[in-house]
Order: sequence, then C-alpha cells, then structure tokens
Amino acid sequence: MAHIVIDTCGGREAGAEALEAAAIASLQLDHQLTLVGDEAELTGKLARIAHDAERLRVAHAGDPVDPEQDLRAALAGRTSITVGLELLARDPEAVFISAGPPALIVAAALRTLGRIPSVGRAALAAVYPTLRPHGPASDPFALLLDVGATIQCTSEDLVTFAAMGAAYAAKISSIERPRVALLSNGTASSGAPPRVRDAHRRLLQGPPGFEYVGCLRADHVTSGDADVIVTDGFTGDVLLRTLEGIAATGELLIKRAAEKFQWRLGVQMLGDGIAAIREFTDWENYGGAPLLGIDRAVIVTQANSGRRAFLNAIRLGVKIDRLKVLEAVAAGVAALRTKES
Amino acid sequence: MNGQGEHDEANEAPTPASETVTPEQITADQVLPDEAAIEEVAPAMVPPLDEIIANVSPEGITQVAAPRKLVHLRWDLDKTYLQTNFDSVKDLVKTFWQKPEDKATVAGAQALLQSLMDPADRQNRRVTFISGSPRQMRKVLMRKLCLDGVEPDMFILKPNLENLLRGRFRALRGQVGYKLKALLLSHMAAETVDEYLFGDDAEQDAFIYSLYADILAGRVDAVRMAAILSTCKVYRHDVDEIMAYHKQLVGSGDVVRRIFINLDRRSPLDRFAAYGARVIAIYNYFQGALLLFDAGLLSARGLVGVLAAMATAGYTPERVANSVQDLMRRGFVQPPALAKISEAIDEAERAVERPARYFLQKFEEVVAGLGTLTRSPPPWELDINYLGLYHEARFHRQQHRWLGIRLLD
Repeated sequence: MAHIVIDTCGGREAGAEALEAAAIASLQLDHQLTLVGDEAELTGKLARIAHDAERLRVAHAGDPVDPEQDLRAALAGRTSITVGLELLARDPEAVFISAGPPALIVAAALRTLGRIPSVGRAALAAVYPTLRPHGPASDPFALLLDVGATIQCTSEDLVTFAAMGAAYAAKISSIERPRVALLSNGTASSGAPPRVRDAHRRLLQGPPGFEYVGCLRADHVTSGDADVIVTDGFTGDVLLRTLEGIAATGELLIKRAAEKFQWRLGVQMLGDGIAAIREFTDWENYGGAPLLGIDRAVIVTQANSGRRAFLNAIRLGVKIDRLKVLEAVAAGVAALRTKES
Repeated sequence: MNGQGEHDEANEAPTPASETVTPEQITADQVLPDEAAIEEVAPAMVPPLDEIIANVSPEGITQVAAPRKLVHLRWDLDKTYLQTNFDSVKDLVKTFWQKPEDKATVAGAQALLQSLMDPADRQNRRVTFISGSPRQMRKVLMRKLCLDGVEPDMFILKPNLENLLRGRFRALRGQVGYKLKALLLSHMAAETVDEYLFGDDAEQDAFIYSLYADILAGRVDAVRMAAILSTCKVYRHDVDEIMAYHKQLVGSGDVVRRIFINLDRRSPLDRFAAYGARVIAIYNYFQGALLLFDAGLLSARGLVGVLAAMATAGYTPERVANSVQDLMRRGFVQPPALAKISEAIDEAERAVERPARYFLQKFEEVVAGLGTLTRSPPPWELDINYLGLYHEARFHRQQHRWLGIRLLD
C-alpha cells in the first residue's frame, strides 16, 4: 500500500482542488493519504466534502508557501513542502505530490532526502504526447528530462539523466529497451555545445538497458522517434512551456474561430475531433513530473493544477510505488556506472 | 394523491382502536400489543422494575453515563449492524434470501455490542434493534444475532407486508413514521436512564433519533411535532399514534446521550453538523468504541476487543490511527484522553495478549503529526430546525436518485 503525501497549499483555488482530489482518492483507492497544510483549515474544508477519514490523515504545516520568498528563508520555515518532505524522509514507501514552486521543492528535496548513489544532480521528468505510441501498451507519452531541476548540466549529468529516464520509461511504459535521444540543434553533434557533444560520444559507446538513437532536433520531439529525450533543465523547461503554449494557442484559435457564424458551424462539425485533440494535449492528464535522482518519490505538478491533475498525480504516485520505479532507476544508474568503469 | 404536507387517507385502511397503545398498558413482562413487531427476547435477564428504579438516582438522569446505571442501546440493523446492500432490486432479493450465516456484520459492530453487553454489566444494559427489514425476516435475523452471540431485549421489524396489503405504499420506503413510533413505544416499554442510539447515513436515522431525543427532552411541542409529521408525509394512523405517545412522553427526560451514525455512504460530515454534538458521525466502530470508553460505558478490555475485531476484518493500524486522528480534529477526543486510552489499551493488552502495540505506536505518530492541537467539541444543539433538515435531506436524496451519489456535494 502506497502512502501519498499531498501538499494542499498549491494548485488551483489555493489548494482546494488538491484537497478535493485527495478526498476522491480516499473513496476510490485503497492507499494511505496524508494532507499537509493548515490543520484547522483542512479539517473545516474536509467536513464539507465526502471523504474516507480512515484513509486520510492531516499533518499540520503552519507557514505559508511564498513563491517570491528567498529560498533559504523558505527552507527554514514549516511550510507544507518542508513538512511533507520530512514525512517522506521517514517513510520509504511515501510519495510526495506538490504544486508548489519547483525550485523550492527541488532545493528542499535535495536538503531533506538522500540521493540515489552516484547521482550528482536531480532531474524533473515530464511526459508529453507524441504522434507515435510507445511500448507494448501503446503509451501516447514520451519522457522529457530535465524540465527545470538542474539549470546547468555537465555531460556527466546528461548521461546520468539518460540512464534514469530510460529506467523510468522501461518501468512505467513497459518498454524493454527504451530509445533515448539527446536534444540538440541538429542530428549531427558537431554543432552542439561541448557538454552535448561529450554526452553524445559517451552514449554512443553502448549504454546498458537502453538504445541510444542520437541527437534529435526540437521539431522532431512530438514525432515519437524517441521514448526518452534528454536535455538540461533550462532548455527542457523552455521546450515544455513552448509545447504547452502552442496547445493553449490552438485552444484560443478555436474559440476565436467561433466568432464567425460559418466558422462556428465548422467548429461544431469538427467538435469530436477537437475534443479528442484537446484531451490528447491537456497537460492535466499527465499527472505531473517525477523528480528523478532522489531516493524517494517526489512528483511536481503545475502551479495551476486542478482536481484532475492531482488525481492523475496520485495515480502516478501509486504506480511508481507499485512498480518499484525508484529501485529500477537506481539499478539503471548503477549498471551505467559499472559499464563505464 | 395529496400534496405535500397533507396526509394520504385514501390509501389508508381504518385501524382498530385496540391497536393504539398507552404506556399504562405496557408492563415489563407483558408482550406488547403489536406482538409481531416487538419481541422480548430475554425477559429472564431483565431485573424487576423496582430494582431498576432503586438503582437510579434522580440526578443521574442528567449525568454522563457511569457504571451501574441502566443504559439502553438502540441499534438499527441494516448498514449499522449488518453489512447490507440495497442499491438494486437484485441486492434486495439477495438480502431477503440470504442465510443467517452468510450475513456479514459491519467491522467491529459485533465486538462492540458484545463488549457493551458484557455479562458482568448485562443487568444494567438493554438492547433494542429497530430495523426497516420486513417482519418475514425475523427468523433469519434472530438466528444471525444468535450466531453472533447478541441477545436483544427487543427486536422490532417493519410491517411491510401489512403496509403493502393496506395500500400504504409510502410507508414501504418511509422511515420517519415507523421508526419514531417504534422508538417511542419501546421507550415506554422499558425504564431507561441513559440511551445511546446507533444508526447510519443511508436513511434518516440522524433526523429520527434526534427528533426522538428532543421529544423526550421536551424540546418539541405538539404543534411542532404535528407540523414535522405532516411534512414527512406520515400516514394519519401513524400520526395519531405518535401524537398520543408524544403526549405521554414529552419532557420525560433528556436521556439520549449520544447518537452514532455509521457513515456507510461516507456522507460529508457537515450534513450532520446541524444536529449538534449529540449526533456523531463515525467512519468505523473503533471511533464509537473510543467515545463510549471515554464516557465510561466501555471497558478497556472491550476497547481492545473492538480493535482486535477491526484488525481481523482487515483494518491496518494506519486506518485505525487515521480514524482516531479524525475524532481528535473534530474535537471529540482530546490528546490527554488519547494518552489515557493508550495506557488502558496497553494495560488490557498485557492481560489478554492481543497485538495492540503497533496500533499504539501509530496513535502516537498521529498525535505528533498534529502538533499542539486542542479543539473543543462542537456545541450541543438545542434548537434543531427539523423541517429545514427534512427538506435538505429530501433534496440530497432526489439529487442522488437522478444524478447518482456525487463525490463532491
């Protein structure tokens, strides 16, 4: 049985939707859930919604999370993030889910929790939909890491991210030998920065457990040519935001099209297709980004996550615990180190 | 069909005058006039009335239950004591034909009831079951209770066949008229000091039990009572009887100490807030056992017994600890009381060798997670708006009927 620790101070409606998702999960799933936040406020809100108190527990965190606050001061307080991560440190089976500021979560996680042996930096791994499905279960999502945990990476970090991402995808999407690519400005590595060139050279030597397919341009990210795409945190964050921005712009364009009667008719006729695309590109379906490289499961969801995003993050957390994904990631990194030495 | 608030007399057959019962007609060893409805199961265990009255001090009526007082436990059966599924006609038929040994009890209910009816204290306890199940199920249900080692003093079942034959179709589903009448009737039939009522959130138990408690406490006068019965569309015959009992019993004593509502449907807690602290919605019977232990009604050994039964039913220490924390957060259990409870469980565990130690460890974790929580319990509600609550409950029922039970409402 997994233990899901949920930060109820982040997400849509000041965490109210995170609480609702937890209440629904308590009724639908047979797992222990701990809500972290202001106890009096949470108890008051819980009384108004159907939930199963046998599966829910509250851990009090009195200090508010302020995204503008200095990182050091935020780490010193008793915020929902620091309290939640303390709970995580005490329970190896726990999974922490938060929609708080990613930088604060990563910093607090690195301070409170241990790292996987021989992993220098952590990586946030986000999924995004691609045209070609992945694995035997035809998983529509590919993995992109890092998307914001480590802004500046060395080639060593990129190779480690490749091993971690491949191990994660192998477990979550049941892919026997995931195809891994490095994000670059061309298919040849010659024009890439030195860290990418060096990582490319090391990965070409035949890493264990996954297939390296070379460098991949950003316009091929959604094609599905690779199951795992590796990049540094800065580039990954920019790429992910761009993809989400394009999807949001598409939504707006459809709404704008409805302004003219004839176009509205056309949009109505395409209604089912548009709904399918919307469902496909909706980030709330992805569940959040796991922080890889830490010896506990931490899932970071977007700041404006709603009920559905939190519910999917809870389901992802349960899956990570059930499939022993963290052990697989640690084993993947260990195999890489053995091969390299 | 009449409009809301009127009695449907067209569907109602005339009732013989002899069926109306006055309290003078009922004595301790007399079979009640509605003999099929109320059965005295173990009259030998009931002490003489004089002895009961002699053991009860007048001031004891307003005190919280203490040992050696006569305590009446009134239980609903389906979804409160028995795990019953009435969601479809198939379930209903299955329940009807189910063998006694196949009927399952709600986790911890049997252990709690057995502990409350401990032979050492049995002479001070009365147990009444008031169920909405048809009288035709009496044999099966009695057999089930017998298998569980539970011997009720009274066992009241609903005359559904009679209601059907008389064309009283509303009474088949309605509970207010039937249960209120049964509660008042059985109250007259037994001398009581303190009463503890157990129901569930599937029907209107919180409403009916609170109304019953307020009638006894003298908080519902005849005019208000008539208005409530009229709104609840109770048949004229039942209204007449209930009003007669009301006249006899109104203001006879504020004896209902607690009303426990088993959250079988996991209804939101706020739905019971209007009833005040007397109604406590519980997620499991360990919560009930804790509160009864705190009130001095249940022994530490009994508490450990309930804990053991819950563990056998598959409850993990985490689930039990979560429900303890839930009571603490709602202000029903204070951290010092929990420390006493832990001590008592520890003590009792050493005597009976039950593995409660891991549970205690989890309780401590739960308390630690809350920091320095001190919360007072909710207030005791003295002026309940029954008409408003009835309409609200009706709205929720209709919403559930047409839209299904919403997870967030």
